[in-house]
Amino acid sequence: MDPFLTSRFVTDLLGGLTNGVEYGLVALSLVLIWRSTGILNFAQGAMPMFATYIGMGLLSYHVGYWPCVAISIAAGFAIGGVTERVLVRPLYGKPEINPIVVMVGYLIVLEGVAAAIWSTTPRSLPIPFSPIEWQLGGKPIALSPFDVYVIVTGVIVMTAITILFQFTKLGLQLRASALAPEVSRLLGVRVGRMLTLGWMISTAVGTVTAVLVASNFFTGLTPQVMDSIFAFGFIAAAIGGLDSPVGALVMGIVLGIVLQFVTDYLNSNSVIIVALVMLIASLMIRPSGIFTRNASRRV
Amino acid sequence: MASLTSRRRLASILAVVVVADVVAVVLASSAHAALLSVVMITIALGGAAAATTPGLRAAHPVTWRATLCAALVAATLWLTFFLPATTNFNLATGASMSIVLLGLSFLTGASGQISLGNGAFMGVGAFAVAIWANHHSSTPIIVTLLIATACGAIVGLLLGLPATRLRGPYLAGMTLAFAVAFTAILGSFNSWTGGDSGLQLPVALTPPRWIVDLFHSGTEILTTNSMWLADISILVTGVAFFFMANLFASRTGRAMRLIRDNDVAAELVGISLPRMRVLAFTISSAYAALGGGVYALINNAVSPSTFTFPLSVTILSLIVIGGIGTIPGALIGGIIYAYSANVISWITNNSGLNPQGNLASQLNGIIFGALLIVTMLFAPLGISGSVHRMWRSRREHRRG
Repeated sequence: MDPFLTSRFVTDLLGGLTNGVEYGLVALSLVLIWRSTGILNFAQGAMPMFATYIGMGLLSYHVGYWPCVAISIAAGFAIGGVTERVLVRPLYGKPEINPIVVMVGYLIVLEGVAAAIWSTTPRSLPIPFSPIEWQLGGKPIALSPFDVYVIVTGVIVMTAITILFQFTKLGLQLRASALAPEVSRLLGVRVGRMLTLGWMISTAVGTVTAVLVASNFFTGLTPQVMDSIFAFGFIAAAIGGLDSPVGALVMGIVLGIVLQFVTDYLNSNSVIIVALVMLIASLMIRPSGIFTRNASRRV
Repeated sequence: MASLTSRRRLASILAVVVVADVVAVVLASSAHAALLSVVMITIALGGAAAATTPGLRAAHPVTWRATLCAALVAATLWLTFFLPATTNFNLATGASMSIVLLGLSFLTGASGQISLGNGAFMGVGAFAVAIWANHHSSTPIIVTLLIATACGAIVGLLLGLPATRLRGPYLAGMTLAFAVAFTAILGSFNSWTGGDSGLQLPVALTPPRWIVDLFHSGTEILTTNSMWLADISILVTGVAFFFMANLFASRTGRAMRLIRDNDVAAELVGISLPRMRVLAFTISSAYAALGGGVYALINNAVSPSTFTFPLSVTILSLIVIGGIGTIPGALIGGIIYAYSANVISWITNNSGLNPQGNLASQLNGIIFGALLIVTMLFAPLGISGSVHRMWRSRREHRRG
């Protein structure tokens, strides 16, 4: 009926949107931690992966899909909090390479332990929604109930984060301790707790992403499932500006769509190369990121 | 040594060298082997004696570094004549790895940045060697290795130019993306890189005739071959360390260390921050590629599955454990790498783990990752840095 909806252009656009939401969520979780603690968390893919394994492992004990998702997210909160208290707390104020090195070590340990416990064979999760695309006049639209699930979940998480940070007292405290920890402490904000909470929220957002990625029929859950998604999420966050949650989301979605076109018109090997070239170009042209206000460095 | 006069010192050194040479001649199996042993022992002991001469380090630092490197190289070369094939092969692998580690150590020690993509840069060098050797098999090794080094420098410059201008984790993130992407990048040039199976070098590196003749006629070809591989790697490593030691101490090296410690002060005295950072990263990538090139020569083949992200993490762990930012740290890391596989399989065999089980296959990553975290949290200077600090504080304590 409407050939536009099934055209190659719209197909790529919609296909890219689903990936883009996942990249955007990872980028968002990176930005949340970067803004509050000035650490780029290289384990931001592995921690949610581990939480997802913990939650989804209960599937073998005949727990339903949705309770498992809830437990995964709870595990994400817990892992985020414990990590901040035990691993990250000693690193504040150290040279900037120390947290990078520790988080990379943590990433490898988590992936290794996950593979040791649950093996590297992909584990397929029950699919809550059909991955079969809707048809329109005998041709598929690149949109399935599962894709809608991903996109809607993404929108819910983004709205929840926005409401939390912009319209609640807790959100104000979180932002205040990120921007001016000393002043916040004087005004009675428990800055230490806020930092822990920031890591918990960020890991939970990551866990939602990991659940979405692992629920995908074609990938399944593996210890390395978040590696490439993390790389794309970082690229999106760096292009958008590491300070800007909006930038991270928008660039994640843009990156997803652009890369879908690359997959379609070139090949899937070129995807990460194009993403790298985009990152290089954007850092050359606008180093601080597209969406950040120009900040001058304090001496 | 302080109590001896310089003449008595010289005499005792000469005596030690002569005695060692005589022992070597008596024990040697043939005239050639005796000659070679005498040369190596003389260089090793003479170099060591010269390097420990009081005042030489302060007065002629370049000569001091050259004699120290020559002495170490000669001593190790001499050792390789007697070692069994597997040990020599481990030695060669460790030497090639220590070149890679040296580059990363320099990057961090001199400019305070870090790269998570050194495994991929190693891959650049290894594939450069393999591709070049497949097209021009008659090129001398030294030229092939220089080409690999240049390739690494070019790729490093491309990636480093945008990322190193910025403060913050951009270089780390970008090199991580490069490491994750490297397999896909190789895959896009399948006709050059040989696809998933990788490339075989057309001719294996074999020792020249006169080296083989030095040994008993009964010596297995494998033994002399692996000895030759170890010798080549050790020679290249020695040269690489000599250049790096000079670079560390040079004007450029000092400027980079100032950037690491206080970049604002560095800018105020007129050092160009972006240029120095790019330079440091380019040099470190070139070293990684050189190490990768030697690795390709040793293994006689390259495969894309070697140069994945976990290799980059292993490299990072090795240099952090050895002592990041130090030169001896790279050597320690290389030795750890050469024997890590043996140690881990020993642990697997002696702890009752199922060797085919999940845990056994992940042990390498888990151990290196855990060591990385523990070292960074509790002894961020690594083995070399901690020992150095302990030694210095003890000396100060003794002085009172």
